[in-house]
Amino acid sequence: MIHDLHINNHNFKLHPSGAIYWEEKKMLLIADVHLGKVAHFRKYGAAVPVDAAFKNLEKLTETSNYFQPEIICFLGDLFHSKLNDEWHDFEKWVEYIQAEIILISGNHDIIPKYLYQDLDIKVFDELTLEGFYLTHHPTEIKGLFNFSGHIHPGIKMRGLGRQSLRLPCFYKTLNSLILPAFGNFTGKHILTPSKKDEVFAIVEGEVICVSQK
Amino acid sequence: MKKTKDSGSNQWQGLVDEEIASLCSQWFKSKGWNPFPFQQKTWKAFLDGKHGLLNAPTGSGKTYALWVPIVLQYLKNNPEYKTKHTKGIKAIWITPLRALSVEIQQAAQHFADDLETGLTVGIRTGDTSQSERAKQKRQMPDLLITTPESLMLLLASKGYEKTFKTLTAIVVDEWHELLGSKRGVQMELALSRLKTVSSEIRIWGISATIGNLEEAMDVLLGTDSRLRENSVLVKANQKSKIEVRSIIPKKMETFPWRGHLGLHLLEEIIPIIKASRTTLIFTNTRGQCEIWFQKILEKHPEFAGEIAMHHGSIGKDTRLWVEQAIRNESLTAVVATSSLDLGVDFAPVETVIQIGGPKGVAKFLQRAGRSNHRPGEPSVIYFLPTHALELLEASALKRAVKDEVVEDRIPYLLSFDVLIQHLVTLAVSNGFFPKEIFPEIKSTFCFQEITEDQWNWCLNFITIGSQSLQAYDEYQKVKVTPEGLFKVESRQIAMMHRLSIGTIVSDSMMLVKYVSGGFIGTIEEWFISKMKPGDTFVFAGRTLELVRIRQMQAQVRKSSKRTANIVSFMGGRLPLSSQMSKILREEMQSARLPVGATVAPKRKTPEIEALSHIFERQERESIVPNESEFLIETFKTREGFHSLFYPFEGRFVHEAMSSLLAYRISLLSPITFSLAYNDYGFELLSDQFLDIQTILDNNLFSEEYLYDDLQKSLNSTELARRKFRDIAVISGMVFQGYPNKAIKTKHLQSNSQLLFDVFRDYEADNLLYLQAYRETFEHQLEEGRLRRALERINSQKTIWKQCEKATPFSFPIITDRLREKLSSEKLADRIKRMTLQLMK
Repeated sequence: MIHDLHINNHNFKLHPSGAIYWEEKKMLLIADVHLGKVAHFRKYGAAVPVDAAFKNLEKLTETSNYFQPEIICFLGDLFHSKLNDEWHDFEKWVEYIQAEIILISGNHDIIPKYLYQDLDIKVFDELTLEGFYLTHHPTEIKGLFNFSGHIHPGIKMRGLGRQSLRLPCFYKTLNSLILPAFGNFTGKHILTPSKKDEVFAIVEGEVICVSQK
Repeated sequence: MKKTKDSGSNQWQGLVDEEIASLCSQWFKSKGWNPFPFQQKTWKAFLDGKHGLLNAPTGSGKTYALWVPIVLQYLKNNPEYKTKHTKGIKAIWITPLRALSVEIQQAAQHFADDLETGLTVGIRTGDTSQSERAKQKRQMPDLLITTPESLMLLLASKGYEKTFKTLTAIVVDEWHELLGSKRGVQMELALSRLKTVSSEIRIWGISATIGNLEEAMDVLLGTDSRLRENSVLVKANQKSKIEVRSIIPKKMETFPWRGHLGLHLLEEIIPIIKASRTTLIFTNTRGQCEIWFQKILEKHPEFAGEIAMHHGSIGKDTRLWVEQAIRNESLTAVVATSSLDLGVDFAPVETVIQIGGPKGVAKFLQRAGRSNHRPGEPSVIYFLPTHALELLEASALKRAVKDEVVEDRIPYLLSFDVLIQHLVTLAVSNGFFPKEIFPEIKSTFCFQEITEDQWNWCLNFITIGSQSLQAYDEYQKVKVTPEGLFKVESRQIAMMHRLSIGTIVSDSMMLVKYVSGGFIGTIEEWFISKMKPGDTFVFAGRTLELVRIRQMQAQVRKSSKRTANIVSFMGGRLPLSSQMSKILREEMQSARLPVGATVAPKRKTPEIEALSHIFERQERESIVPNESEFLIETFKTREGFHSLFYPFEGRFVHEAMSSLLAYRISLLSPITFSLAYNDYGFELLSDQFLDIQTILDNNLFSEEYLYDDLQKSLNSTELARRKFRDIAVISGMVFQGYPNKAIKTKHLQSNSQLLFDVFRDYEADNLLYLQAYRETFEHQLEEGRLRRALERINSQKTIWKQCEKATPFSFPIITDRLREKLSSEKLADRIKRMTLQLMK
């Protein structure tokens, strides 16, 4: 169910939750959780099921329990909006989790930095680690391999009998990899890959490489 | 209205006192009119205090049938009307189309002024200016002409019960148009409130002929027996003569077997256009409308400036300009969609051309009726087929017109989305006590079956956003005061709600504007999203270059580049009605050559005659089934294994039947299908061979477990998801943003698809989510009709033809690009056999 990937002599595990585990650094990379989005919508009168919000944290817990990382790095859009009650649940989750937490801030992360710092979460605009460049927006820099989020990548598959399907995916080019959105109340943006790109789709708890090698 | 020689009859006697009677009589005489019996019947019924439904076509004098007695009632109640005007609104006139309001206003004001009644007539629609609205707020006109949405907005403003207390009548014009839609439900709910607020109110509807007029009246009046017993159905009984002329291709052999544009026959309509004063060319979709307009100009530049286009996505100003131009005869032809079906009479229109099958008799009649209002002479409508088999439809239409077959309009039941909208509306204005409102809701036709549980669910939904209280929840919509009043307190929620009443229900519409300012129209977001700045496209008859996209606005400038990229719209294809399907099946029989016969069958129309080579080929490669046969064809092409089924029941039934059958087959062994359908039949396409004998042996067309199987097969298709789009918008789950305002709403925009998934995963018992399925069954799949079709198939003899290649019947289906899919294979297994779509 997990797909192993070898990039520049480092080992990465693509997990069907949408997270990536970086073995050498014992680091879990997660993009676009959009916590607080459900509460935000509810605050403005759209009755999105509350369970959807709980499930996000449950999924975070399950994924980090599985890998037992030393560091969890969120690649932006961790919290969708202004402060709301989902933040309290997140605070409890941070207390519970053993790992160190880092946030690369994204366009939706408008919560003041000090609130994160109060939870011992370090906030960066970008981070370079052993030739890997971690950002929210996909950013190409010569000589570095970029991990990012923001796009919520998805792809469209076609088959005989004119079947078609849209799936969330990890989207890899020569020097970058875009993670799918981790949160469950997020959409997908359908990309059309070129021949050089590698695409790892998430299908019913499996990560499957769907691009030709 | 009929001209008269004798006008001395005593038609006013007994209605009103003599003085008023003679005034009216004189007025009609001065116009040279003699009131129709249906008008007199309506006047009497109204003045007797009755409610009712008037069945009369457009242009028959229906406005006077109801406006006259409203005025008379006022004069009766206010004998000193000439010196003393009694303030307060007397009547509301509901019209589904804004375009109609001006016409009604002029007619009504005219009569009121001539009789020196001092009564005023005002209009309130989305087009009414802010200052005019404010003025109306202070002092309502005596007659207010408005739309269902604008009426809802009035109910959303404080103190509406005082405003409407003086009402004596509400007239719902074109009720047949509203009936089969959620706007109809909106009307039912508004009426339920007005019945309480205005004790003197009389409820009247005006409807064109539909199959279920009695039911239409029940829906209008609700289940309250006091109203029903005191009501009357008045029929105008005016027959309209209609002549249908098909445009038959000269070279039938080269006429295509598929397609929906019909451009091959473009040259055929040119002489028709040139021979008449003004021609209306009706297309079935907005996309088709754009293309036809473009192509006519391209082939015949001499028409430049003389032809125009009219469809629902074009800016209002342009539409009004076109309508005016038709009236003053400055246009030779107008290419239009259903946006011109209704409404104002355009006297100069001499000819109507219908491009492609109109799919329903009522729609066709309505369009035909747009031409030539000279009494005694028939309205002429030309029918232009877009593919060969559509000629069969033309032939069937002729019969339907002759035999006066008309469709039913099916009212919506238990539309919780509209109920939630209504409840929030009441909470925004005065607030409401549930125990007072529940009986009103229960008295509507739509909600007569609502249970206490469902009612409480709706109340919970608007107050706590779920069915049990959540810890630390900030859900905000309707608050309950300690006295138990349900009220919206947040100004922002109230404003968002008002804005969402009457927003056009569609996934995501984008405004198209010139960079320099100036609104052109709206188009669907998916179309624009495929384009980059600098790309050009044709919209509203203009070639435009996309400059940039800013906050749901596509900013464009004029371009002189040539482009083939004509704006297109999703959906819009109508299914064949069940009445039309039946006639179509019968018509096909006349095309069959009986076994062994050499003489042509008796009832051959020119259309059927023209199709003979196609039927011959169909006979050669397969068969043309008779009444007791059900045809199945199979063949293989490069795309896979095709299996075709021909129930001839219309698109929607085929859509359902194909899912059902695909699902049942998939239970036998893992398989994936792609489904296609048209009005004649459907196709299951697979990458595996499908043995039809297995279907027959397992009795897969059985009516047993129909509902269950459909429900399961629908889980795999996306029908309910599409229905949910409207539901999410109407119930206020999806906020579409502030029109023309640069306030950022991006953080609140979600799409209904996402919501649908979230409900499916976390709240599958949500009534709105379930409603999406119910609507799919009742309105899209037409479960009842499907059941009858299956019964018919089971009584027929199945003929399985294994063909060499695509047959004439199959061709339009297998080339259809809009497809559904159904699979019983594991997703991961399917993926392994699929390929990624790469950049070209």
